[in-house]
Amino acid sequence: QADRRRLNAPPGGTAPPAFATPKTVKLERPKRTRKPDEHRKIYLRTGIVPSASGSAYYEIPPQSDQKQSGLSLPQTSSLKITCTVHGPRPLPRNAAFSPNLLLTTHVKFAPFATRHRRGYVRDASERDLAVHLETALRGVIIGERWPKSGVEVVITVLEGEEDGWWGDAGGGGGGGGWGLMGVLAGCITVASAALVDAGIDCVDLVSGGVAVVVGDGGGSGGKPKGGEGALVLDPSPAEHAEMRAACVVAYLHSRDEITELWMRGDAGAESERLIDEAVKAASLARTVLVEAVKEAVE
Amino acid sequence: MANGTPPAPGLTFPPETFAKLTPRPFLQAHLQHKDSIRPNGRRPEEVRKPTVNTGSLSYSNGSAVVRVGDTAVVCGVRAEILLASDIPHPPNGDADAEHLLEDLGLLVPNVELSTGCSPTHLPGNPPGILAQALSYRILSLLHVSDLVNLQDLQIEYTVPQTDDDLPDAGPKTVVKAYWTLYIDILCIAMDGNPFDAAWTAVIAALRDTSLPRAWWDPDREIILCSPLEAEASRLRLRNLPMASTFAVYSTSSPLKQRAHAESWVLADPDGFEEDVCHESVTVVLSHHMDGKKSGILRVEKHGGGIVDNVALLRCVQATRNRAGEWCAVLGIT
Repeated sequence: QADRRRLNAPPGGTAPPAFATPKTVKLERPKRTRKPDEHRKIYLRTGIVPSASGSAYYEIPPQSDQKQSGLSLPQTSSLKITCTVHGPRPLPRNAAFSPNLLLTTHVKFAPFATRHRRGYVRDASERDLAVHLETALRGVIIGERWPKSGVEVVITVLEGEEDGWWGDAGGGGGGGGWGLMGVLAGCITVASAALVDAGIDCVDLVSGGVAVVVGDGGGSGGKPKGGEGALVLDPSPAEHAEMRAACVVAYLHSRDEITELWMRGDAGAESERLIDEAVKAASLARTVLVEAVKEAVE
Repeated sequence: MANGTPPAPGLTFPPETFAKLTPRPFLQAHLQHKDSIRPNGRRPEEVRKPTVNTGSLSYSNGSAVVRVGDTAVVCGVRAEILLASDIPHPPNGDADAEHLLEDLGLLVPNVELSTGCSPTHLPGNPPGILAQALSYRILSLLHVSDLVNLQDLQIEYTVPQTDDDLPDAGPKTVVKAYWTLYIDILCIAMDGNPFDAAWTAVIAALRDTSLPRAWWDPDREIILCSPLEAEASRLRLRNLPMASTFAVYSTSSPLKQRAHAESWVLADPDGFEEDVCHESVTVVLSHHMDGKKSGILRVEKHGGGIVDNVALLRCVQATRNRAGEWCAVLGIT
């Protein structure tokens, strides 16, 4: 259906370019230079879309300077997410009566958001992210104050995190979708800021945090002891050769509650520590969230 | 309300409420004032100054973010390879170079409005009339303006000379593949006049686009590219057209005499004005980079019959006057 209404690729089909690095250029995997419990700098701003009830923009700038490497391909990933909130709006007349606010979430990656071009039609991973986001937000919105109303949370990911390093075999794309977890953590934080901007009643500010169990020591200072992997929060998936498990949480700091938990991979004995690390990451993200919200009020 | 008594509470509203309840009389009252001013504070011929930011997206070959007032548009240009052997109806050797770009379909613009940019454009629906019309207008303008040089998009291969060839014959080059440019335009915030913002974003992104050096590998029979930034090349754009949209507000109606109607031409309409006005004019002026004389490239007008030749010429002149400012914003010398 979308094909008829959009301008399509030329007949014959196109393929993304295949790169061949000359032998004189040495490709190095980017290294993690921050400590295992240090979060990357987050840039968060609300009120970017005046016609919506609430909106926010979240960005994690790229860590290394692009020009230094001399390559035209990006070395480290960055994250750019926009969120708009429309509502509370009255439900259509034919909808069934609902005593609580009806939350609808949409997540969409822009076509230029990832290394491989995505289409305009939503695919399964985007729907999956939307379901996780809805779970995270439903636990924090006070729904009883808005019967017969609906609110739409729309997320557009302008640039998403990678799944792995492009220099790896398989181009890093077949890494099991680790990049999605970082994107979800960002989506939770930005949706929270947009909800506050829209003036929707919430019990607390929810923030998202992600942590992984790596197999290669986790950058500076982390040493694997015996068979245990090191725990690292806010990973950039390109920096780690092997990631064994990852966890995303949506955390309410003042109530010490978790509204959403998504774990992937086999953490084994480390599961509880992994969740604690993710909660720590969420608390770090919350400080940025609080500042952004306060700035908007002033 | 009687004179001398203070107004009863609740009978006066702030201006925003009047704008929501009665948009047409609200706009008309502003324009009929002796110094005609629009509700957003601009004069009828005043436009919003755009801000352009290029190169912010890492995974695109070229990108631009344009903000015109409250309208914000992100454009990303992605290049992918179309092998000449995959083309189902290959063009013959003497085909018109001008039409080849169009026939092969190497430029693929798409405008996406269903991003939640305004309460009327929520996701979940396929593109509506406005989005499809915008995509098609941008496509036709790209082809008519002859902006992109087909040579920039061709990946050629010099066939090595074999013993069968005549010794005098020069090296033969054959086009093995073409670069296809996917121009994806996402509207992040919408406050009227999406076409101008989208077009400015397309021009800025195409100027920022750099294509990697590509060659045909005869052993593996694929196209390989070099990831080195130093070997990448920019597009040589021949023409940088400038687009300018106007909305027309008129008090005419079938019930009134035509001569009694008043009308105003509003440059760069915002969301409120677009909802109220029916007629609009878009003027596109070309700006050739290779020394050819610049002139009117396209004039589009639809929605009514208020604008006549005189008013149209005024619109063209107003667009010409803004050309210097537009070039400065985009960084064109």
